[in-house]
Amino acid sequence: MIQVNNLTFSYSKKPFIEGLSFEVKAGEIFGFLGPSGAGKSTVQKILLGMLPNYEGSAVVGSVECKKHGSNFYQNIGVDFEYSTMYEKLSARENLEFFSSLYRLRHRSIDELLMAVGLENDADKRVADFSKGMKSRLNFIKALVHDPKLLFLDEPTSGLDPTNSRLMKDMILEEKRRGKTILLTTHNMQDATELCDRVAFIVGGKLFALDSPHNLIMSKGAAKVTYTWIENGEQSASCDLTEMAGDKKLRNLIAENRLQSIHSSEPTLNDIFMEITGKTLV
Amino acid sequence: MSAAQTGTLHIPKVRKKDMRAIQISFLHMLKFMKKDMMLLAAGLSPLLMGAAIRLGIPAIDKALRSFTGLSQILGPYYSLFDIFYSAITPSMFCFVAAMVMLEERDDHIDRYLFVTDLGKRGYYISRIVIPALVAFVISAVLLPIFRLAVSSFAMILFLSFSGTLQGIIIALLVVNISSNKLEGMALTKCASLMMLGAMGPYFIERPSSHILFFMPSYWTGLVITEGRAIYVLPTVLVSVIWIVILSCGKFRRYT
Repeated sequence: MIQVNNLTFSYSKKPFIEGLSFEVKAGEIFGFLGPSGAGKSTVQKILLGMLPNYEGSAVVGSVECKKHGSNFYQNIGVDFEYSTMYEKLSARENLEFFSSLYRLRHRSIDELLMAVGLENDADKRVADFSKGMKSRLNFIKALVHDPKLLFLDEPTSGLDPTNSRLMKDMILEEKRRGKTILLTTHNMQDATELCDRVAFIVGGKLFALDSPHNLIMSKGAAKVTYTWIENGEQSASCDLTEMAGDKKLRNLIAENRLQSIHSSEPTLNDIFMEITGKTLV
Repeated sequence: MSAAQTGTLHIPKVRKKDMRAIQISFLHMLKFMKKDMMLLAAGLSPLLMGAAIRLGIPAIDKALRSFTGLSQILGPYYSLFDIFYSAITPSMFCFVAAMVMLEERDDHIDRYLFVTDLGKRGYYISRIVIPALVAFVISAVLLPIFRLAVSSFAMILFLSFSGTLQGIIIALLVVNISSNKLEGMALTKCASLMMLGAMGPYFIERPSSHILFFMPSYWTGLVITEGRAIYVLPTVLVSVIWIVILSCGKFRRYT
């Protein structure tokens, strides 16, 4: 669905994106992870055909982004991080207007509003919406023309846990409907939960690209932490793969003195820090 | 890759079938205008101003003449009022369009519209070109109703056309320089001073008046006062230069 080869772009004389290459397969959720200013939004703008002066290749569908025609956006839905609604108009008026701009396929506005729990607020002015309501409305705006490719920028930002869950379920539902989704986020938990593959981008360069599971398993060994009582509570830890060789642990098990034992895998954020030397949160 | 290269605006070509989205976007702007009393008032103001000029100026002139005993006071400047009126109508329409664009920029809606079927070029057409065309037609309809001096059909068309060009320049100035709607309203007042160039040929001796050469309205004033069609050329040329400068990537904030 998306093929990027040796992509280089600059806002000044210094390259901002340098030699970026990756591929997003049809039907997958691909996560772009990186700190602010890493180049995620710039790559998104290039893929949306908004920055044509790049070098290398960026193909969406079968169209080179810098040469796109007017049909290019028919199959693309975009959910920007910020609200892009007419504040003086109602939710329904907004959705009807944006939907009317497209020639083909229109999804039911009522069904979309119901899916994000806004059916009772459909005729309320967007200016009176909370931040979370605006986020949900922004998301379904990207779906009104039933696009094949979705660009989602921090879709769960500013949402409470309930609505964040609702949004994530909707994203997964869109994947089940066959959509390809490019997700930009700082939220490692969302990325781990939603993405089939993630790319770590820092300073306009790609540092890693794999599934969250593979990244976690390949870069960090799971740890086992155990506690026992000996002049108060004591604790120790070892790698999961070296448990059998840990004498203390073996003795504690043999003497039945273990108070607790648990394993912990590194998070995607730990892996991101290990690979890029930077933190996302 | 140079900065100049990266700053260039990329606007894909618009095909005939894309006019549908442009039309919807323009009609949406009118709907949006109806919900904003200030914009609605600005859109209707040419009618009120036309009536005020048509009825008020001759009445004031008559009163002044009878009070002073002079045979001519405002009479020689009736054509100047026509020039102003021909510029005010398109300027008000372009002001409305500029305000809508600024509000869309404030709410990040413009960027979203760029990535819909409307596209960037379609957006500019629906917000600048079509309002200007409508303004031209309305100006050409209202000017014969509210005119004070200009009578020929060709002159009415010319005044409507030059007024429309000024309206486009004012709209581009406002959206280029202002960063929000409030600034836009303040800047519109300054940008409207462009119309005052028309006073040059009436009140300043030649060649001193040529100092106003950079104002399209100055050349419009010369067309009327001198009655020479040759001045149509600099009117259009100066306007086009303004529009090109304000539309090119280097000066455009609105991208």
